[in-house]
Amino acid sequence: MFADSSTTFTLIALTGVFAYSFYAVLVAGQLSLGQAGFASLAAFASTQAVPDEPMFGVVPPLAVGIVVGMVTGAFAAFVLGLPVTRLRGVFLAIATLGFAEMIRIVLINQSWTGGAQGLSVPKLVGPPEAWIAVGVIGFWFLRQGGSKLGRALAAIREDELAAKAMGIDVTRYRLAAFVTAGAVAGLFGVLWVHFSRFADPNEFSFAFAVDGLVTTVVGGSTFFLGPLLGSGFFTAVPELQRAVGIEAGWLRPFIAGVLLLVVVLFLPDGFGGLVSKLGRLRRWGGPVLARGSLVPRSPMPDRTMDGTSPPPALPAPKLPPPGDEVVRMSGVSKDYGGVHAVRDVDLEIRGGEILGLIGPNGAGKTTLVNILTGMTEPSAGEVRVLGVRLGGSVPAHRVALAGVSRTFQHSKLFERLSVLDNVLVGTHRVAPSTLLRRMLFLPSARRTERQVLASALARLERVGLAERATTPAGDLAYGDQRRLEIARALAAQPSLLVLDEPAAGMNHVEAAELSELIRTLADDGITVLLIEHNVRMVLDTCTRVVVLDFGEVIASGEPDVVARDPHVVEAYLGTAAEGEAELAVETSAHEADGSGEQ
Amino acid sequence: MRWFRTAAVAAAAVTLAACTSADETSAGPEGELVGSGTGDECTIDSPVPVGAVLSLTGAAASYGETQRNGLELAVDQLNEAGGVTYELTVEDDQTDPKQGITVFEQFTGSDPQSVIIGPTLSNTAKQTDPIAHEAGTPVLGISNTAEGITEIGNYVFRDSLTESAVIPETVAAATEAYGLQDVVVMYSNDDAFTESGYEAFAAALDEVGVEVSETITFSKSDTEFRALLEQAASSDPDALVVSALIEAAVPLVTQAREAGMQMPIIGGNGFNSPQLMADAGDAAEGVVVGAAWNSTADDPLTTEFIQSYEDEYGAQPDQFAAQAYAGMTLVDSAVRAGCSGEREAIRENLAGLSDVPTVLGEFSFTDGRDAEHPAVVQVVEDGSFAVLE
Repeated sequence: MFADSSTTFTLIALTGVFAYSFYAVLVAGQLSLGQAGFASLAAFASTQAVPDEPMFGVVPPLAVGIVVGMVTGAFAAFVLGLPVTRLRGVFLAIATLGFAEMIRIVLINQSWTGGAQGLSVPKLVGPPEAWIAVGVIGFWFLRQGGSKLGRALAAIREDELAAKAMGIDVTRYRLAAFVTAGAVAGLFGVLWVHFSRFADPNEFSFAFAVDGLVTTVVGGSTFFLGPLLGSGFFTAVPELQRAVGIEAGWLRPFIAGVLLLVVVLFLPDGFGGLVSKLGRLRRWGGPVLARGSLVPRSPMPDRTMDGTSPPPALPAPKLPPPGDEVVRMSGVSKDYGGVHAVRDVDLEIRGGEILGLIGPNGAGKTTLVNILTGMTEPSAGEVRVLGVRLGGSVPAHRVALAGVSRTFQHSKLFERLSVLDNVLVGTHRVAPSTLLRRMLFLPSARRTERQVLASALARLERVGLAERATTPAGDLAYGDQRRLEIARALAAQPSLLVLDEPAAGMNHVEAAELSELIRTLADDGITVLLIEHNVRMVLDTCTRVVVLDFGEVIASGEPDVVARDPHVVEAYLGTAAEGEAELAVETSAHEADGSGEQ
Repeated sequence: MRWFRTAAVAAAAVTLAACTSADETSAGPEGELVGSGTGDECTIDSPVPVGAVLSLTGAAASYGETQRNGLELAVDQLNEAGGVTYELTVEDDQTDPKQGITVFEQFTGSDPQSVIIGPTLSNTAKQTDPIAHEAGTPVLGISNTAEGITEIGNYVFRDSLTESAVIPETVAAATEAYGLQDVVVMYSNDDAFTESGYEAFAAALDEVGVEVSETITFSKSDTEFRALLEQAASSDPDALVVSALIEAAVPLVTQAREAGMQMPIIGGNGFNSPQLMADAGDAAEGVVVGAAWNSTADDPLTTEFIQSYEDEYGAQPDQFAAQAYAGMTLVDSAVRAGCSGEREAIRENLAGLSDVPTVLGEFSFTDGRDAEHPAVVQVVEDGSFAVLE
């Protein structure tokens, strides 16, 4: 039925390689259209480098071309990526598109490229070369999926801010994804011209890039086989139409368009999404979930321990000794326009403390937390966190790597990833990189992954979510989401844990359990900063309390002392002291309306 | 002697067919494609399979469509005449080299054709024709004008005059008619066709000693030329020489006339379309175009072709249709010359064709398998092409 399947299958493989160059950045949530430019540049660079005879008698000419092409593509992506990977969404697409168009125009105006008339090159690529190439690239992305790099890219795709808070250097990882895309696009360019025997700058056009993007999206950009499935689909459609005898002409593109529409409408995650949903492939092909054999049969290995010894724990970073300085803020202010969100705050947190930070709405609590975690730059004042001096050039992920983990006032989970995957991303700070070892199937990579997995599962156990490990995070109930955020933050094995209103949306029982959890964390030596509306919980849990009002510290000290402080009562009730009883009544009201107090 | 050769070929073919009948790739009516008789009396029992790879959709669809019309008209007429019949399979390459490659593989492999006609675009041809050459299937280009097509191998032919064949005649005729001294050359440099056209113009102008006072480039997708035209007008040239596709040619000519530039405009093959007069209207007056096909010729072949084309499709044929039509004439001549529809015989007999009467005029292949027939230099007068005197 398929006429001359060898060509068809070669085309599937080659288009697949090109689609993988889009997959490389789409897994990190980047929309780039520059791949046609990288491919073109690499293809023409290789035409200059490919020797007529094997190099040194052994290196085949195509191998020389591939190396030159991939290096060219990666280098071009690096140079372009330095400025443009900071752009997001459609702006990145426009910038990269402009680049590809620029490359096309430049190559057309060079004499060594043959200009618009192109360049004839020898045929060096047949089915074996094409399939080896797509096999290697597909394998790379399969193995990347479960690695630390793969998890970091998926986290960036889902929520950049949360990724930063987990210690992921977003800029660097995005650039890494971009350079990978450049190298793969370069490989494609070289293979393509040596398959079609003709290099033409005009062929690597805007439409060509869009074809690649559509192939990848239809195939599925979150499953490693997606690009190949998309390529198979788009190569097979014209073949099938020919085979069933639809007359050449307008009808064929029309049918192809309708098919495309149907796929996009009914399979938003592409064919890859369908396959991973149907089959168990999800386990070993998912973007983040570790390879099937690494995920224990039971999600709770500790409970089903059957005599085999648990994997050794990940080496834990050293915690600061009790009483040592963890955070020092002096004279910190933050202005938004004319609004003084935080005014001249001095704050010190010492090792082993559970510091409560309370204050009415708009008191500046979250702003203070954002300053402390490096996400907001203070207008004035000095901040030192775990030995890191915060200032203009210190990115948030550096603070996270130093040992500060946080949760967010409004949950910032990686909603499409599973509960377990969320916590695995949390291990970023402490997990060693496994990518290269995974590629070679080294046993040490497996060992490391077992450790990371055990560590993540232990955090889930701790917050009582182990049974939900495979549920997508977005499907959890509100209270469970808050607990998952804590588990994720704990997975980084932080020195300082910052909890921004963790009890919001929890009932009394849950809040009490949370309170208990926080105390056991402190027993383990973790310093905790707790921001809460639930004043009673703060008074019950914390060793020290700081009260903020209108951006200023109005009280600080032992919980029961602070609770009786007339300034505090006034701040909360608006009238002069009527006593602790009143405050307690007021806090009950807070608990009752729960999340309404956001 | 000739009967002996025919008989020998037939015998060989029968043996071959017997030997290879199990072999899929050479399946098909090979042995049955050798007939008896020669020339007009040649009779072949099985229809000769002819594959055409044309751009019926995509950017070059407008060319592919008239090419298909020209081919189908020719095949209908040839089949009616009888003796040798043709089975034409038209496939679409979607103006995409990938599709072209796939279809060529099909036409040389599982669905073998005795000869392949096409593809529409030169850049596609550079990727597809090596496939046919390696598979030993003759391919006849009917619109490829770029350099380096027939150099691919001795199975590759074309009946389309290259720009380097037409343009010297155009320049020579225009120089004589208008007494040109100096010209401004404008061309789009991001298209294979127009760029090679420019190179031919530059060489031809140099040949006849016309000075090029300025060379201006633009993009094939440009439609706004006023600033460039102002620049061109500043040197007050005797003529504008333009190598552009019709999409750019129409606005360029229109805007030049609007700007008061009344000098002759000498165009490349891209101007050679009825669309020029239809879209540019009066502005097209005085445009000089060299063409491979003289639509105003009054020989019976041409007038009958135009008449039957109009009857069939309700529109005037253009040069692409004429070259397609002539392509089938050439294939038929080659098949009848050896009275064989086999690939090798067609290749051999195509190469030997000379002075075949076609709608393009007396046609021969050069030693390099390129087209050799008279070109015509036309000028737009009163809304239609007339031969430049």
